[in-house]
Amino acid sequence: MVPNTQKIQMLLQSLVTNSPEIEGASLVTLDGLPLASTLPGHMDEERVSAMAATMLSIGERIGEELQKGNVGRIFVESDQGYCMLTSCGDDAVLLVMATTAAKQGLLQLAIKRSVADLKLALG
Amino acid sequence: MAGPVGAGKSTFVRAVSEIAVVDTDRQATDETSLLKQKTTVGFDFGRLQFSPDMALHLYGTPGQDRFDFMWEELISKAHAYILLVPANRPATFRKAHLIYQFMSERVALPMVVGLTHTDCEEAWSADNVAIAMDLAEPTQRPPFVEVNATEPDSVTRALSALIQQYILITGAA
Repeated sequence: MVPNTQKIQMLLQSLVTNSPEIEGASLVTLDGLPLASTLPGHMDEERVSAMAATMLSIGERIGEELQKGNVGRIFVESDQGYCMLTSCGDDAVLLVMATTAAKQGLLQLAIKRSVADLKLALG
Repeated sequence: MAGPVGAGKSTFVRAVSEIAVVDTDRQATDETSLLKQKTTVGFDFGRLQFSPDMALHLYGTPGQDRFDFMWEELISKAHAYILLVPANRPATFRKAHLIYQFMSERVALPMVVGLTHTDCEEAWSADNVAIAMDLAEPTQRPPFVEVNATEPDSVTRALSALIQQYILITGAA
């Protein structure tokens, strides 16, 4: 099935607009190419996508090397916010950026729901 | 190991590493997929005990420039590097030149150019590749070595050339 790009874009858009703490979201291929993004204006979509793929691949390597199995999520906590990478089916990964004001539970829930919808839209 | 897509960077590391190579290969979905199925999105890591008192840590970079943050990360702690260039794909010479520039703007490291795929019919000579990469000027031209990235002996020779260059430039013994 061909991915429904309009639907994917809409899902990312609503993820970002429905939670003020979420600053941006990007769905990318495992080799680091953008599928769809809603990012803050100053961010370069291509670069963000490549970084997401690098982060996931290294995280997965670490999971493997340290015998922790498959990586489902990578979480980066910084003094100015969070970056979360969540695997989204076999072909894509979802990157979400949020401010420090974000409540962890809400964030996880919003991402979990988006991933389920995105998987369907990816086909 | 730096260089454009399909130069043989991952193959190079695999050819000589004594440890199981840490790779970060993913299915390619861009124009890379016309050339090969998988592509490096993080880095390759291998290790080679070159002599009793010298171990080399080998890092392979991704080829596509969207991963230039990895080039930056890896080159900033490197001691020397090999720029692998596929001699049979002139379209990549400009990319190789841009990678060379990228590195030169950040570090002044011993380096050699490793020409791969020289056994292919359409392969260019080292002199012509040097001209195409704007490295023909004798004062600017780094050593060029031919390397078959699938052959451990050939890869070891290329690494020897790099180590010689390292000793020459840094004066380390």
